[in-house]
Amino acid sequence: MSPTPKKTNPSSDVILEVKDLVQSYNGRAVLNGLNFKVRKGETFVIMGGSGCGKTTLLRILIGAQKPTSGSVHLFGEDITKASSQELDRIRLRFGMNFQFGALFQSMTVGENIALPLQEHSQVDPSLIEMIVKMKLELVGLTGFENFKPSELSGGMRKRVGLARALALDPELLFSDEPTSGLDPVMTAVVDQLTLDSTRKIGVTAVVVSHDMTSCFRIATHMLMLGNGPRQGEIIAEGTPDEIRANPDPFLQQFVRGEADGPIAFRLSQDDYLKHLLQEG
Amino acid sequence: MKFSFESLLNAGGSRLTYGLLNLRILGWILYGFTRPGILVPSQILSQVIRIGVQAIPMASLVSLSVGFILAMQSSTELGKMGADSFIPDLVSLSLMRELGPLLVAIIVVGRSGSAVAAELGTMKVNEEIEALRVMAIDPIRYLVVPRFIALMIMLPCMTIFGNCVGLVGGWAVCTLEMGMPSSFYIMRAMQRPELWDLFSGLIKTAVFAHIIITIACYQGLNVEGGAEGVGRATTSAVVYSILWIIIADTILTGLFYFVL
Repeated sequence: MSPTPKKTNPSSDVILEVKDLVQSYNGRAVLNGLNFKVRKGETFVIMGGSGCGKTTLLRILIGAQKPTSGSVHLFGEDITKASSQELDRIRLRFGMNFQFGALFQSMTVGENIALPLQEHSQVDPSLIEMIVKMKLELVGLTGFENFKPSELSGGMRKRVGLARALALDPELLFSDEPTSGLDPVMTAVVDQLTLDSTRKIGVTAVVVSHDMTSCFRIATHMLMLGNGPRQGEIIAEGTPDEIRANPDPFLQQFVRGEADGPIAFRLSQDDYLKHLLQEG
Repeated sequence: MKFSFESLLNAGGSRLTYGLLNLRILGWILYGFTRPGILVPSQILSQVIRIGVQAIPMASLVSLSVGFILAMQSSTELGKMGADSFIPDLVSLSLMRELGPLLVAIIVVGRSGSAVAAELGTMKVNEEIEALRVMAIDPIRYLVVPRFIALMIMLPCMTIFGNCVGLVGGWAVCTLEMGMPSSFYIMRAMQRPELWDLFSGLIKTAVFAHIIITIACYQGLNVEGGAEGVGRATTSAVVYSILWIIIADTILTGLFYFVL
């Protein structure tokens, strides 16, 4: 059963609002006029196949990349027009869990989690040590403070990445493919951690993923990005039950994980002939 | 337009050219003097050890060898003219003005410059730089400035130390092989050079340190394309650093020779 979304006031509880977002590379639109809102307390899952622009969208949402056009309002401020200082101030209100953890290899697990606290808080070192232990307990890695990231498994690294993202108790958590490359048990563990963050701590989560089991397990709201002929468009948006019930063939092929359907991995016969006969 | 440190710290926005990197380093150092907590002594000390102290054995070995070589090569020609007594002068002047700064800088390029470029490049590829930005930590302030200050402090120190080791090399040849009295060697080697000879070498060293660390950091932070990109950046850091060190050395030597 899908987690029940908290009751929200549609107008005042919007944490993230994307308006007419377009990202093009060499005239080719990767994201094509996206519009959506993320409300406080939601676990908002952005899904889509490889190359649909999920990572590009996430990079724009965290302010790592400027879009070609459109706006991204985070906590009411347009980050596409924000200066570096304004962006840094906004960044203190959200955490980012990278796909491969992006842990600092030269630091221990404890130092990785402590870094944002040392940089942005006036907290006493002994208290930072205690917070690090609390965050590690939250992700089930008590006692791993002195390990180097290279000594951890992929799943453990992702959990440390989550602990670091939650170090400053952010209001919003971005997560990039949190379960990719994990076994089913570890996937369930990471999903549970995401749910714990949203339900117990009250963090709003924006998760980018293409793991459908995981998506339906954690999402309170879902958005599907298209690729191929529908590159960069929103194919469907709604609660998990609405997504399951949506008859769109693109969406259903993706949800069911079928090889045959409108999401083609090979060219059509006509296109193939045209491609073969194309000069240069 | 009103000047502010912030305009220097974020010069160029998300772009990072070599000139902008230099501006931002300058901005952070100036800002660091006005605000506590920007320049963290422990971070600088850790880079002093990694970039400087750990390179001392290699730089010393090269300096010692150069001292040997200078004394041996000059003894052949100067001996023919009965000018053996000028060997200590030649060894000390050559080391202080030219060979000490140049050779130590080249050793540091190969050992520390390449390591910095590879380290920052790998961090870029592993999204660690991106993670710093997302945590509202400026990579220039956190990664580049401590390395910059460390090398600006350590390269002159290493050069002075290398000069001393090189003089020991020259002393070993002059006293043990040529029978020159130690006191004579020390007196000539210390008396002949003027203070300006030492200073001119140290000015060169400061310029070389700036070249080495800014090129290494620039190449490392601009890595694109995974492991291949890291390899390319490391090679570029070494090649461009050596190239610019030699060009800067020529310009500075010309300036000291013709102007000062």
